[in-house]
Amino acid sequence: MPIVQLAKKMKELKSGQILELLADDVGAKEDVPAWCSRTGNQLVGTEEEGKIFKFYIRVK
Amino acid sequence: MADKFCMVVSEGSFDKAMMPLIMGNTAASMGMEVHVFYTFFGLKLLKKGNRPKLPGFMRFFTGMMEKKMRKLNVPGIEEMTKQARELGVHFYACSTSMALMGIKESDLAEGTKVLGASAFLNLAADSKMTLFIG
Repeated sequence: MPIVQLAKKMKELKSGQILELLADDVGAKEDVPAWCSRTGNQLVGTEEEGKIFKFYIRVK
Repeated sequence: MADKFCMVVSEGSFDKAMMPLIMGNTAASMGMEVHVFYTFFGLKLLKKGNRPKLPGFMRFFTGMMEKKMRKLNVPGIEEMTKQARELGVHFYACSTSMALMGIKESDLAEGTKVLGASAFLNLAADSKMTLFIG
């Protein structure tokens, strides 16, 4: 469940930093943008490498 | 103020154990305030040392389900419960059901609060979402 770990890690970062999330969970494609919009963190980029989804999130 | 998300759990099987944890942990990760109210057979899930089984005759396949979860990196009930408490998810045992099912406060897992229906309804009344599970 990438979202729970994402939330945990984001708390450790400072405003303006970018977190790179790698997920092999197909649901992450929808979940991560939803989490970002809910929590006010900006999703600045996404990439798909085979079965791995990469997300770049800027800490608010 | 954070949005409230309330759930009522009235069955004690494995699947009913997982559902509020998956949704609750995800909601808490999204900044929601999560309250889960366990009533009737759901109270089993709050008992210390409880190990839920799949419902009905499928109980014999619980081991297989747990194995599949490990393979897919889905956290088990114990880990999710620990995560839930770390995320601040609130767990409540229904006081009326406790009396009916003969469960004492000392039987309940640490961190579980006891609430009556009114107190819970008060929480749920202005909650953004309320779900009934099982």
